[in-house]
Amino acid sequence: MSTKTPSEADILRPVNNVSKKYFMLFGAAALALGAFLVAWMYQLANGMAVTGLSDWGSGGGVTWGLYIGAFIWWVGIAHGGIILSAAVRLLDMDRYMPVARLAELLTIAGLSAAGFYILVHMGRPDRMVTSVLGHYHITVNNSPLVWDVTVITAYFVLTATYLALTLRYDITRLRDQLPDHFEPFYKVMTLGYTKDEDEVVERMVWWLALAIIIMAPLLLHGGVIPWLFAVLPGMPGWFSAVQGPQFLTIALTSAISGVIIVAAAFRRAYDWDHIMTDDVFRGLLLWLGFFSLLFLWLQLQQNVVGLFKAPVNVGVAQQATLAHPLYQLSMGLVFLTLAFIFAQTIRPSLFSRTRAIVAAFAVLTGTLIEKILFVVEGFFHPTFEIYAATPGEYFPSAIEWLSLVGTTGLVVLIFLVVSKLVPVVELHAVEHLRGDHGHGHDTDESETTKEVKA
Amino acid sequence: MSTDDESFHPLGNEWEGELEEMLDDTEYDSDLGMKMAQDAMRVTKGELSEAEFHEMYHDDVMEEFGVDDRPTEAAYEQAQEEQKGTATRMLEAFEGDGEESRRETMKKMGVGAAAVGLGAWGTVDDGPEANLAAADDHSSYGKVENDGTQLGMVIDLERCDGCLSCVAACQEENQTDQGVNWMYVLDYEEPDGDNSGSRNRLVRPCQHCTDAPCEKVCPTTARHTRDKDGLVLTDYDVCIGCRYCQVACPYGVNYFQWDEPSVSTDEIKQTADDMGMDGDHMTDHRDRWVDSRAPRGVMSKCTMCPTRQDGHMGDEKVGTTACEDACPPEAINFGDMNDPESKPQQYLTNVVQTRAERMVDGQSPNRENVQESYNFLEGDVELLEMEYLEDGDHDEIQAALFIQGELAESELTLEDEELREVVIDIIGDADALAELEDEELGTLADVLLGDASEGDVDSDDLDAANTAIDAVITDAEEGVQAVVDRYESREITPAEVEESLALLDGEEEPWVSEAGITDEGSAQNVLEAYAGGEASTFKLLEDVGTNPNVTYIGNEPGPEAEQVEGPVAYSDIGGTDNRKDVLDEKTVGDAGVSL
Repeated sequence: MSTKTPSEADILRPVNNVSKKYFMLFGAAALALGAFLVAWMYQLANGMAVTGLSDWGSGGGVTWGLYIGAFIWWVGIAHGGIILSAAVRLLDMDRYMPVARLAELLTIAGLSAAGFYILVHMGRPDRMVTSVLGHYHITVNNSPLVWDVTVITAYFVLTATYLALTLRYDITRLRDQLPDHFEPFYKVMTLGYTKDEDEVVERMVWWLALAIIIMAPLLLHGGVIPWLFAVLPGMPGWFSAVQGPQFLTIALTSAISGVIIVAAAFRRAYDWDHIMTDDVFRGLLLWLGFFSLLFLWLQLQQNVVGLFKAPVNVGVAQQATLAHPLYQLSMGLVFLTLAFIFAQTIRPSLFSRTRAIVAAFAVLTGTLIEKILFVVEGFFHPTFEIYAATPGEYFPSAIEWLSLVGTTGLVVLIFLVVSKLVPVVELHAVEHLRGDHGHGHDTDESETTKEVKA
Repeated sequence: MSTDDESFHPLGNEWEGELEEMLDDTEYDSDLGMKMAQDAMRVTKGELSEAEFHEMYHDDVMEEFGVDDRPTEAAYEQAQEEQKGTATRMLEAFEGDGEESRRETMKKMGVGAAAVGLGAWGTVDDGPEANLAAADDHSSYGKVENDGTQLGMVIDLERCDGCLSCVAACQEENQTDQGVNWMYVLDYEEPDGDNSGSRNRLVRPCQHCTDAPCEKVCPTTARHTRDKDGLVLTDYDVCIGCRYCQVACPYGVNYFQWDEPSVSTDEIKQTADDMGMDGDHMTDHRDRWVDSRAPRGVMSKCTMCPTRQDGHMGDEKVGTTACEDACPPEAINFGDMNDPESKPQQYLTNVVQTRAERMVDGQSPNRENVQESYNFLEGDVELLEMEYLEDGDHDEIQAALFIQGELAESELTLEDEELREVVIDIIGDADALAELEDEELGTLADVLLGDASEGDVDSDDLDAANTAIDAVITDAEEGVQAVVDRYESREITPAEVEESLALLDGEEEPWVSEAGITDEGSAQNVLEAYAGGEASTFKLLEDVGTNPNVTYIGNEPGPEAEQVEGPVAYSDIGGTDNRKDVLDEKTVGDAGVSL
């Protein structure tokens, strides 16, 4: 732990200060997003032929590619982020309270990137509202894609509510130190606030967290997102009951990695080494190791089942996946991360924040590759693989690659903007770090904390 | 699921109160909504049938919302025919095989919830237009069987010769882009190396599945089954181009419109006008844009020609498709798969017979030819009067008979000059006269026809010429004898096939003579020898549970079958096999490598 005492001033520093570096980063992120927006306009003008996609079957390609792979990846980061934050609240894992809001913001930003990918992926994005909402009452009965839209929307609402409720507490208390030019925003955010609501809000937040914890594994990244693929019997690379748990582990590993990177960035930018302590990073790394283990374990299940004595279609698909260099790279990255995390558990001196960041990047790269490959390999080896043009060919076009840069820019921008509006670390976290637990359940909290830490 | 309070809703009074509030917020009559909701719950308990429920509130709903598309509508419509509602069957399709009682409850709960949710909400959210557009086809969602018309195909793979005429015809009719092969034909090999015997070829249109996965996953209802005839179509005005249908289809029949199509809608309309179509070849009888190539950004696939089925191309095109029309060996049989009397079902019932009928059509020597040959041998008919001659040409016989003096000049139908040419042809073909110049042959012909004196030609040549003339007659006569001999030796000729077909069709004595086919056993053998044995039938990937409406006759490709080059290349018909070759040209930064 650091010797400095965390204060309100610490968490207000991003809101009230701008620096040259901030503008440079803002400019770079805006440029990245802008470049992709231009590329997207080009795609809209010329049709989706500008991508590397084609029809599977006699068409010699894959019809879903990087866009969908990256969509799942971002959704995974988002879902994992909110699970992390909800777990912190629900289980009183106070150690991670300083990064809880960052995880929530990562959810909002990740979902924005994912939502953007849906539009980018569509042949006729202009019809999203009329065609999808117009027939919602019918299609919700059948289409996993509609379930997806439904649950992601519900999720977005839950997260936003959750974030808004906790922000009211902070904004009210810190209002004097927040910049006046955002007055209307703060007014809206704290509309009708009374001190009496604190207790109610705390309970609401707890229930929301419970809802999220229940919903997320069952419905979200353990549910509707993998069901997009897992329920289709024509594609043996996807058709499997393991996809739900598998996707969930990918979501959690990606999200923890994301939180590690974002937290490290803020710590560095605002000298928050006494708020986002090494202890937090060590803890996050441990969780990352745990979920990486689950991730690899589920991959092992698929490989053993798919290679031992599987039906022809499953065997072909799994063999192709296992033999793919990118699959091996992806698994290797996660495995190496896991090995490092285990090693630094045994010998704590192996830990450093830089290494934690490298591990986080390694996992994020691994999961992104795995996700894109997962989508593509499904089309490469369908059950009906009779066509000479299967397995097809696919390599993302320049525009598709640029979308990764663009959405990363979008996520960075969201963080940069939000950090100027509201504190990205909860007031509760500071209060907790200082040891004054004046927010509700103070008596038994320290005991619980000790238990969790133990 | 029951509660002890007096609420109609299983979740109790509180929930009921909330529902009521929700309804109050809408501009619609909340009393009606609540009454409906209560009765909807009665439906779930089995106290009220779906049809009764629908009827009960139909007038009120019409008055209130101006449209009644509650999910019970179909149940109401079908109640007269059958007691079981469509909405129930619709839900059944999702359930699979489960415990009956639990399933019943869940199903009915679904109806109740839907009634509460949709009656009050769905109608508010979307205008009547959106609902009307979709209402037409809801009932077909996840249907298990279609009692009405279900168009489909029976494709005889043993007959397909891989000429790709169907592929070309489809592309021309629907004006699809290069590589958009809605109809696709492929040859394949099995990896075990046993590719002998009958052919390994597959004709792959869309299977127009009864349980179409593409339709089930569509987030918009753009992919739908047309109630009228069970065709699985794409509404080009609704599709958002998410391509999930293509992902879910196990057959790979979908083709996305990645860029601007090469033929404009104006051109399609113009072509339709030029052909005198009663329509634009794009919108069907429901005014939905489902036919011809897709516009940019939406999905397309084989449609089985709704424009034809709607009669827009004339009555004679109803019940046909472009590919079927174009197939030279008539391997494609399109029609109502639910009708035992339809073209495909008839074909399926009598594969060998139907196949033989089509193969023998127009072939010789047929029964009449054999009969005629018998007649000739018995002296009842002259050689020159015979319609069928296996060896011989009527003109040559006429000339020969005239030279032999068997035919008077007045009986000749050939002009002088023609006659002379025919004679020259006959003698020119004789080996002994092969050395002669044209002029010499001419003189020889003149001598034979009595237009020149015998002194003008070599006597050996004249003898040879006379022999050639005689041979014309003897060859012809021997040919007639051969027809009879072959018939009596039971060599399989079209005549025997015809006899066999007639015999199996119940005709009493279809044979020309007792020497022909007179018993059904032989008849069956003849047909099988001629048209191939009773080949097995299959549907593609039947275990995937799509209930496809294309039935194949012939070899089913195994799980490891791999496409090989066919007899005709796609480039030979001006097409493209692998569409990626075309699409790659527009890819920005095509790296030329693959993942």
